[in-house]
Amino acid sequence: MRVRYSGLTFGAVAAVALLLATQPVRAQSRAETLRYVTGASVNTLDPNVPGTTREAFAVSLSTYDRLVSFGRKQLNGKWVFDLDTITGELAESYDVSADGLKITFHLRKDARFQDGTPVTAEDVKWSLDRAVTAPVLGKAQLLTGSLTGADQFKVIDPSTFEVTLPKPDKLALPNLATVYPIIINSKVARANATADDPWAIAWLKEHTAGSGAYMIESFKPGEQVIMKRNEAWNRGTPDKSAFFKRVIVQTVPEPATRANLVERGDADITVDLQASDVQALENKGALKVISTPQYNSVTFISMNNTIPPFDNINVRRAIAYALPYDDMFKAALFARGTPLFGATWTDGKPTTSAFPFPQPIKLDLDKAREYLKAAGMPDGFSTTFSFNVGQASTAEPMAALVKESLGKIGIKVDIQKLPDAQMSTQINEKKLPFFTEGIVAWLPSTDYFYRNFYTGNQRWNYSSINNAELNALAQEARFEPDKAKYDEEGKKLNAIHVAEMPQIALWQPSQDAVMAASLDGYTYQFHRQVDYRDLRRK
Amino acid sequence: MRSLGATIARAAKRFMSSLPALFGVLVFTFLLMRVLPGDPAVFFASGPNAGKEEIEVIRRQMGLDKPVPEQLLLYLYDVGRGNLGKSLMTGQAVTTDLRERLPASLELTLTALLIALVSAIPLGVLAALKPGSLIDHGVRLFCALGVCVPTFVSGLLLIYVFYYLLGLAPDPTGRVDVFTSLPPARTGFLTIDFLLAGDFDGWWAAFRQLILPAMTMALFVIAPLARITRASMLVSLGSDFIRTARSVGLSWWRVVVTYALRNAILPVITIAGIVFSTMLGANVLVEKVYSWPGVASYALDALLSSDYAPVQGFVLLMASIFVVVNLLVDVLYGIADPRVSI
Repeated sequence: MRVRYSGLTFGAVAAVALLLATQPVRAQSRAETLRYVTGASVNTLDPNVPGTTREAFAVSLSTYDRLVSFGRKQLNGKWVFDLDTITGELAESYDVSADGLKITFHLRKDARFQDGTPVTAEDVKWSLDRAVTAPVLGKAQLLTGSLTGADQFKVIDPSTFEVTLPKPDKLALPNLATVYPIIINSKVARANATADDPWAIAWLKEHTAGSGAYMIESFKPGEQVIMKRNEAWNRGTPDKSAFFKRVIVQTVPEPATRANLVERGDADITVDLQASDVQALENKGALKVISTPQYNSVTFISMNNTIPPFDNINVRRAIAYALPYDDMFKAALFARGTPLFGATWTDGKPTTSAFPFPQPIKLDLDKAREYLKAAGMPDGFSTTFSFNVGQASTAEPMAALVKESLGKIGIKVDIQKLPDAQMSTQINEKKLPFFTEGIVAWLPSTDYFYRNFYTGNQRWNYSSINNAELNALAQEARFEPDKAKYDEEGKKLNAIHVAEMPQIALWQPSQDAVMAASLDGYTYQFHRQVDYRDLRRK
Repeated sequence: MRSLGATIARAAKRFMSSLPALFGVLVFTFLLMRVLPGDPAVFFASGPNAGKEEIEVIRRQMGLDKPVPEQLLLYLYDVGRGNLGKSLMTGQAVTTDLRERLPASLELTLTALLIALVSAIPLGVLAALKPGSLIDHGVRLFCALGVCVPTFVSGLLLIYVFYYLLGLAPDPTGRVDVFTSLPPARTGFLTIDFLLAGDFDGWWAAFRQLILPAMTMALFVIAPLARITRASMLVSLGSDFIRTARSVGLSWWRVVVTYALRNAILPVITIAGIVFSTMLGANVLVEKVYSWPGVASYALDALLSSDYAPVQGFVLLMASIFVVVNLLVDVLYGIADPRVSI
């Protein structure tokens, strides 16, 4: 077994090496190559595999096409993805029936997979069937758009494909533009499927069979991915033109090194620098820094509403008024983001139906003491505040400030720094009383946030809140076709959030994309990674 | 010749006797990983919508749904067949990952050790020849600086000076420039593979990448090596046979190198063996700073995400290397001092 195994690996390595040696990559000009550096790594070529990293999501957007994709819009002068504009990718156009129950996609007749075979409705059906039936990540995502079974997908003719919905669902179409529902070359995938693995999950993890703008040239998990442009790709738009002939995605764990690389011009773009480095590079002015508040994400201080003393609403309110918001914002993020505190609700009613929203709370220790008294704990109590190692650079200064400020009203806080896996385990088991975490929603509509992050006994309901009114409203809003009514429900949900104070929204951190001055077209995407197809060199 | 054969036979026997220890390490790491309070399934099921079902799928994939004793038996069976399991983090078999990454770590560590020895031994000898002199104090200062600056600080500093300010070094990202095509993998040591392929530009590219991280690591270990050399040279230089050698008028070189140094080298070899094993496992900071695709950073990432198989594989590998290095040190002992037999 061992011999066969090493033989195989050696063979593969030798073959790749031989290929590289005998066919030296043409010296492509540096200008036509995009070198992207990141602290994370790509671990699979199929974004559906459980455990897929965010970097792998970004790669899959370039190697695979989806039926549709998101357009872009300007938000405070910066380009961000637009949930409300769905443009065709493999589909040339689509029609939604009058009752909203049928979506018909007209596929591009000239679309071809990277191996040259045409993309047909059969491939689309196989791929979407896989996404909703195989044990893959797509299943849970597509569920949020009422896409649950293979019987909803129908091939009308080789270039027409129909999706049937049980109810008109606003999120059905946007869901098909997310990372998971990739369109796979079903002939190739089937040929590599086995009896145990009819959906070729194992094979697709290490190989691609798509129609995307880029082809994998080399893939070293945890190190780098090199892709070359698929010259036959014609799904581009002026905004998404796949300008670069070659894309190098490289893992560079040390943030200071990433900053050096970009500053020296050896790397073109990175999105995960430390806030202090970004600040310094921005002040030097030689590079382009685009900071976009991650408007589909929130950082929270969460309290488990089922663990005493946080089951007491007045304790939660006391905490909310005892946090030093401004100081934390400056210390943790260097104020790079959108604050979600310090709003004023003139008549005590929410001003927006959107989520996340700025909350009408600010630091007020007297008020906090009153609430503690009302909770029957005028002398305070002891608790632990947890955060994970991966977020230490922002969470550590924040935790120190939380401890100091809560100490003033008699709450004694022990700071607990947990390895990432341990933190997620304890959150999942609902064992942490008081901690900081973040959330992100790919499809940031108000009902989606409330359904996924405030209902049910599941991991993402950090506060473990179970409020009957909130549950009912969130479900109702999901299928609400009337915009005015939807807004009304959104406001009600936000009002409940502030009244119950299950957890405290702090801010939306910025995504700081630091890039060479010659790069253009950067767009903040729902998956919080760079879509390489967006970028151009001037 | 006969003594060589005997040495090999004894070395083999010693290796066999360390197998139970390796087995113990294997079982202990396995249990330790399961006791640690992190659930890899939950960690890896952290897509934006992953729920209970995804966690169960990963648990089944990793075999965590079975009772621990059964998991252990299955794991031992797999290890016996040369299969160390699969890493969720990279999505590859652990043996593949280690086979790709170990040469990177070995190449870096060996180069660093070579640099360290080549500079530490002369420094130690010089310091011992003139104890209390300016040279001695200079060496002491240099060693103290090397030890008290953590490797990630000296690493970042070297990068800042040689890459960022002077532009002499290539960008500190991995073993070879991304635009260079790799030679056919024969040994996994890039500097050797490039030579075998006759690609001197490639060799130069790989060598340039290697030099800064190797220097960073070497700086840290020069101190123990130089200090030990100095101490044991002092003892050796003060002994009777050196006085005799000097009195019969032997040349300086013969006295210092042939007689004194050869007798002083034993403890240096021991320390070098220990330093090597430590470097291999503890160079994680250097690997991180220079994005070096080695085994230590791999193991650290795996540990943070509670990815069981790679951590277990790494510990087993390190234990085996430790055994081999110790053995090698003992054999070298015998060569340096024929009175010693292992």
